[in-house]
Amino acid sequence: MEILAEGQGAYLPPDPDGFRAWVRDNKPRTLVPKMLNEHEAIEKFVSDGDYVAYDCNYFQRGPSSLIREIIRQQKKDLWVCGKFTYVALALLVEGGCATRADIGFVGFGPWLSKAVAAGRLQTYEYSNVVMTYRLQAGAQGLPFIGVRSFGGTEGFPQSGAKLVTDPFSGKPVVLLPALNPDVSIIHVHQADVYGNARVFGTGISHVDCALASKKVIVSAEEIIETDEFRRDPARTSIPHFTVDAVVHAPFGAYPGTVQGRYASDVQHVVECFGGTMRGDLQPYLEKWVYSVDSHDEMLEKRVGWKKIQALQRRETIREGYSI
Amino acid sequence: MTPATHFAEREHLICAVSRVIEEEKSYWVGGGGEPLYSILLAQRLYASGVQYMTEDGVIAPQSMMPWDPLMTMVASRAGYRALQWGTMNTAGNFAQLGYVDVGILNTLQVDRYGNINSTVLGEYEGGQGRRFGGPGGADTIAAQCWRTILMTDQQKRKFPERVDFVSSPGFLDGPGAREANGLPPGTGPWRVFTPWAMFGYEEQSCELMLMAISPFVTVDMVLAEMSFEPKIAPTIETLDPPMEEELEIIRTQLDTDGQTTGRGQWVEKRDGKYVFAETQGRE
Repeated sequence: MEILAEGQGAYLPPDPDGFRAWVRDNKPRTLVPKMLNEHEAIEKFVSDGDYVAYDCNYFQRGPSSLIREIIRQQKKDLWVCGKFTYVALALLVEGGCATRADIGFVGFGPWLSKAVAAGRLQTYEYSNVVMTYRLQAGAQGLPFIGVRSFGGTEGFPQSGAKLVTDPFSGKPVVLLPALNPDVSIIHVHQADVYGNARVFGTGISHVDCALASKKVIVSAEEIIETDEFRRDPARTSIPHFTVDAVVHAPFGAYPGTVQGRYASDVQHVVECFGGTMRGDLQPYLEKWVYSVDSHDEMLEKRVGWKKIQALQRRETIREGYSI
Repeated sequence: MTPATHFAEREHLICAVSRVIEEEKSYWVGGGGEPLYSILLAQRLYASGVQYMTEDGVIAPQSMMPWDPLMTMVASRAGYRALQWGTMNTAGNFAQLGYVDVGILNTLQVDRYGNINSTVLGEYEGGQGRRFGGPGGADTIAAQCWRTILMTDQQKRKFPERVDFVSSPGFLDGPGAREANGLPPGTGPWRVFTPWAMFGYEEQSCELMLMAISPFVTVDMVLAEMSFEPKIAPTIETLDPPMEEELEIIRTQLDTDGQTTGRGQWVEKRDGKYVFAETQGRE
């Protein structure tokens, strides 16, 4: 296969055989209870230097409470899958946790320019769908995937992609390296103690993230009985055997929204996004992360149940979200 | 409909794009701002059955407006009453299969060949440029929709000879370049709309071509706000001003707080002519 052009960006090397061996040796095949609290889950399953993917983002059904816990535990040298993320990457960089990111779309603004200029963040350039196709290939156990986009861009030379001659048609086609993150963190509407999980509504790449990643942490708004899954199996998004830890995290996406459950906290979103626009997120981290010990304590001391109830009331749409 | 006599130039931009939206075509729109408002306005006035999808795999929603700030996708109001909910690869697959006729996007910069920059202003290498969010879904939209409509401001720095960084593909270096880089044939840039003008592309050269101007500017004013000389169509049309009925919808249903349309200049009708207004802002 003739290589016509290739990117020079570093990328996590695809290793489908290594992944299969990891699955053989580490993923339990039976129903094993996996409930952990947020501290235990992050301590056990996120290691310094890991490639981390999270589905959605800090404002939209993302695992916000677990992102704050990563920062609280001062994890280091994380490489972040930056598909459709506003401020989570900014928070992880400001918190000293992330040093590299594959960029699809991230929160723009002065924080990003400052972090890149100061050498605190190394970026590799992709696009959102290019990243989710890389995860799809990872979720299929393949080494790479062909796509009919991305070629000719100036992100291409900063990526791990290659432009080759398609051996079947003889036409040029872009190949992307499969992505198998070390760890994925996914916030869901419902899960059981074994890791079976349901996401209602759209998502970015939650199923592929779960299948493609060596370690998977699910945080759930609600823990439900396994029998509920058996009653309506078509609604299972993620099967238990891909999941390593289940964290019960009511309002875990706060300050973001969870469709059908609660609206975003607009005031908080503006405060956080404003920090990225000013290029200064330290006051935000102090108030919402460092000065509280846990998600529960943050909800209790910084948010309050009155506000939480107001956010629940403001989310008026129910259709499609199993309520 | 009644021609308006006092409006924001960005309101005019949204109206102009809404009028080229066709009911029989399918659309992929950027998650918010002007592209979304254009298709929602078209649905309400010109093409009630037109369908669009967004990057999180929302297919043909009936969005509940207005949205909270930044809640462009994966929020219940944005995906309300859709025909299907999927994921990002759902959207990517439909575009790659050829189901998506037109993509509508904002851009920081656009150049002679319709290339799109949303990554950096200034130098990428060395990390000293001003960084932006990256292509997001625009790379897929620009690569795979049959046509792409871009929306931007008429400013010299937004129309450089060559964008600072090709985040998403226009015609790249000219005829044949898209296919040589693996993009599907028959796709690519179709229109660029600014508050002041509408551009297309000359078929043979793939170069940007001025086709129409707004009623409150001249061709010279448009050209003075570009860093390169575009091709000029044999006849330059004048775009209609916004209609009162369009503005009513934009102001009461879509951009209710003026966050998107409030920036930029205002226009008014004075002595029978459209000119830049002395009073800015909604009355």
